[in-house]
Amino acid sequence: MSVRIIGCGNIDRGDDGAGLLVARRLRELGTGTQEQSGEALSLIESWAGAETVIVVDAVVSGKAPGEITVWDARAHRVSSGFWPGSTHHFGLAEAVELARVLDRLPPRLWIYGIEGRRFEQGSCPSPEVMRAIGEVAERIRRSVHIRELSFPEHRAR
Amino acid sequence: MSGGGKTIRVDYLARVEGEGGIYIKLKGDQVQDVQLKIFEPPRLFEAFLRGRHCSEVPDITARICGICPIAYQMSAVHAIERALGIEIDPAVRLLRRLFYCGEWIESHALHIFMLHAPDFLGYPDAIQMARDHRGTVEQGLRLKKTGNRIVTLMGGREIHPISAAVGGFHKVPSKTGLRSLVEDLKWALDASLSTARLVAGFEFPDFEQDYEFVALSHPDEYPFNEGRLVSNRGLDIDAAQYEEHFTEQHVKYSNALHSYLRGRGSYLVGPLARFNLNFSRLPEIAQQAARDCGLALPCRNPFRSIVVRAVEMVFACHEALRAIAEYEPPAAPRVEIPGRAGVGSAATEAPRGLLYHRYEIDERGIILLAKIVPPTSQNQKRIEDDLRHFVPGLMTRPAEEITLRCEQAVRNYDPCISCATHFLRLKIDRE
Repeated sequence: MSVRIIGCGNIDRGDDGAGLLVARRLRELGTGTQEQSGEALSLIESWAGAETVIVVDAVVSGKAPGEITVWDARAHRVSSGFWPGSTHHFGLAEAVELARVLDRLPPRLWIYGIEGRRFEQGSCPSPEVMRAIGEVAERIRRSVHIRELSFPEHRAR
Repeated sequence: MSGGGKTIRVDYLARVEGEGGIYIKLKGDQVQDVQLKIFEPPRLFEAFLRGRHCSEVPDITARICGICPIAYQMSAVHAIERALGIEIDPAVRLLRRLFYCGEWIESHALHIFMLHAPDFLGYPDAIQMARDHRGTVEQGLRLKKTGNRIVTLMGGREIHPISAAVGGFHKVPSKTGLRSLVEDLKWALDASLSTARLVAGFEFPDFEQDYEFVALSHPDEYPFNEGRLVSNRGLDIDAAQYEEHFTEQHVKYSNALHSYLRGRGSYLVGPLARFNLNFSRLPEIAQQAARDCGLALPCRNPFRSIVVRAVEMVFACHEALRAIAEYEPPAAPRVEIPGRAGVGSAATEAPRGLLYHRYEIDERGIILLAKIVPPTSQNQKRIEDDLRHFVPGLMTRPAEEITLRCEQAVRNYDPCISCATHFLRLKIDRE
């Protein structure tokens, strides 16, 4: 089974770098990952050919900072409202929905969202998000290694 | 819209980069005020470049924009090289043109297909458009991928390219590596031609303005990295004279400075300016594509910028193929940075237009002063002027259509507000 793990974000904008930091943490743990800015067309290309794709990105949904949400993007529409500052407003949510129309969604697509609170240019990730980064990396690593990719503990909305 | 004092408001304008807004005040059919508001806090890159070594500048400035990092790298390296008297290898110059081709193809494909075409085809976004125009959107996706491939190969990685260096590149590609791009680029050239024909068939509002177009101009080539700054009203200067002729002004409603031509006012940079000032330097295939699309000189209708972008994609694909065919690796990837002080300015052509950088450097190579003027900052005042003249012709239209047309008029410029300081809210007040 081919699994592709993609971290999204902007490392220079505090909590917006959460997805990239998860990707880097996973590489340190010996799991291959990709990094993307989150721009939609590049994202669609980045998951082409993979059977299972895990995307990690920061979100703003009104939950507590650092809270982790998992979406089954094959089963549920993804709202652009969780990524209010994405590039050209053409980011992860648009990538998923455009790929759905174009039949370019991978067979399995899971999105890990880490709730952020600090997005200023040049800021550091918040302590809550830093804790979540470690937890998400460990959960993905464990899932990939034991091939437990149905993520039963996080039935997505 | 409500009676009496009438207001049209859009929470934010989608399909542009960054956060901002537009406020238009009307009295009867007269436009009283137009303000392009940019809320994004100033990004202060100019300030935190001070004290860094000049070799770090290309990597730092590339972080200003996720869409056009190469433009920032190119303006930076050329300005620093001019400050330090560095002459680059002709092969490096060719590679830099190829690098820029990749960014133009990426950026123009994204804007034409995903951000601007929905306006002309009557869809709220590219996702809705894709339901009825699947082949068109697929073509845009593949064109952008072709640009991505160039940038990734040249830049060392897909985001935040790291190969550009003062004096050349940290690592140059092999001939074999570049040849791997050829088949995709041949397809992209044909796809760009068909894109030009497609967008030329869109319906364009009957709107023209007497612009002062400003762009680089080079005697032999369509401009990327080199040339004098020229305009259709007699401007003809070296980049070192930029600040003698252009000035920036703070307006209280915007975090990005407005640029003006001293004594003349607003001006336009970007594809329309480049096309009007440099048509004869386009290769015949791009000139013919423009003629086939009905583009006549001068083209003063900003809505036709989508056609010009398609013609520039034809050029960029053709130029990339030329560069790959002619490429012989340089003897060394880069020239060493000499230990001397200097001041240098350079302007290059980002996908959205002229991007000016100036650096003062001490003998240790430390940046003492940096000045960066992005294309969207330069077009801000011109966008306001377009709206001021465009809105009165829309007065009889429904409020929803006025709003949509105003958003479209802003998107003509493919504004990158993150560069200028990040999305637009539109509010129209009527007395």
